[in-house]
Amino acid sequence: MPSLLELQQGFASRILQPDGDPGLAVYRNNIHENCAKALAGAYPIVRKIVGESFFDRLARDYSRAHPSTCGDLNSYGALMPRFVADYAGTQDVPYLPDVARMEWLAHLAYYAADPRPFEIPVLAKLPENPPLRLAPSCALLRSDWPLARLWEVHQDEFAGEFSVGFDAGIEHILIHRPAWRVQVRPITLGDFRFLAGAGRGETLGAALEAACELDAGFDASTALATWVQAKAVTL
Amino acid sequence: MRRLGAGIGLRAPHYADFLGARPAVGWVEVHAENYFGAGGLDLHVLERVRAELPVSLHGVGLGLGSAEGYSGAHVARLKALVDRIEPALVSEHLCWNAGLGRHFNDLFPLPRTREALELAAGRVMHLQEALGRQVLVENLSAYVEFPDSEMSEGEFIAELARRAGCGVLLDVNNLYVNQINHGISALAQMEHLDSVNEIHLAGHSIGEHCLIDTHGDRVADEVWRLYDAALDRFGPLPTLIEWDTDIPPFEVLLGEAAKAELRMKGRHALAA
Repeated sequence: MPSLLELQQGFASRILQPDGDPGLAVYRNNIHENCAKALAGAYPIVRKIVGESFFDRLARDYSRAHPSTCGDLNSYGALMPRFVADYAGTQDVPYLPDVARMEWLAHLAYYAADPRPFEIPVLAKLPENPPLRLAPSCALLRSDWPLARLWEVHQDEFAGEFSVGFDAGIEHILIHRPAWRVQVRPITLGDFRFLAGAGRGETLGAALEAACELDAGFDASTALATWVQAKAVTL
Repeated sequence: MRRLGAGIGLRAPHYADFLGARPAVGWVEVHAENYFGAGGLDLHVLERVRAELPVSLHGVGLGLGSAEGYSGAHVARLKALVDRIEPALVSEHLCWNAGLGRHFNDLFPLPRTREALELAAGRVMHLQEALGRQVLVENLSAYVEFPDSEMSEGEFIAELARRAGCGVLLDVNNLYVNQINHGISALAQMEHLDSVNEIHLAGHSIGEHCLIDTHGDRVADEVWRLYDAALDRFGPLPTLIEWDTDIPPFEVLLGEAAKAELRMKGRHALAA
């Protein structure tokens, strides 16, 4: 009798190469639907932009190119930004890969550890130049496209005018989850540098100094309070 | 364990219903993998619900019978969730789901061979040791059968329970789906089992070539009748109404759970 491994490998090969067996077709369909559902959950804005039927095809092709390797489908889909950039039919939507990048970071922020409750740091107890930390539910992204606005107009509850200006130039955004909902907001270059420094564990002094150097408008005196209060930075 | 009665799944579309007022159900079950994150809304809701109702963690992604691709990391994530939630029940499927370097994220039936039994029993024992508690193992619905099987479904799961010391989660709808799809007798499969720890009830759909276990409809009459037979044989048991696709209004779920509760009470009264 064939070994269990041989039996399972034979079954898996038949799943991967359609052979007309109606029972196996049910499994093939389940697998596709499960992966497509996971990708639609992680990339709702990409799906809205390209439309449902295009997205379904995209999901099918993505699953072929990058099959799942994990029993937790919430961790499936990390390679979509690159995949969508090279995917036929998306070239007239040049901002799609960056939207996908933003959505994957938002997806990670959604499941990340909760930010610690906001506490006013007791400055007297802190070391003179404490190292900073960026909350796990935060991520930073720089893009040539107006990602924060694209995020805003594609939210289900958005009721304003559906218009996006594409000529504003480079944008820096913070993706974060202060409580339960993920938010995306544009931030200044100085704040971006400061928060990126926190993400690398730089000291308060080093992160402030680097932000000031890069952005003359950076307000070092309020930055710490702002970002600690927003639960983005902890000391 | 105190009597849990009928329970329903905790699913995202019903979060507000659960948080509004304590629903009239004995317990809730969730798919464990949906709560593998480190934080966020889902875990927050689960912890809130857990403060009021017993919770069952039902794994759908481990693949106890996968000859390759079994993941210790998956076990570790399940353990972290078990430690955090302190569930009343923990269950997984008697299935496999990985191979050829990939994960299929579905529930494949096992060839019921002695080799598969040995592998699954070892995995279940290891899982119970890792989690520090008993695990229930669930019978599967299937759309194909391995001709290499050496024993029936009932014999296979009963022997697994004996060897590994695990519990049994009897999915009555799955037995019915297999009865139609493969011509087995659902009642005869039950006869092999000495005891059962939990029951699943769900709706199926009628496909072109076979019944499909969609968890997307009310429980069928034939399945209710098999449920009665299971209650007669095993006594009143924690019974879950599973509904995962085309999720209905909350009241429909509560109505199905109330039906299960009523049948349990009716049977129990008869027995007493």
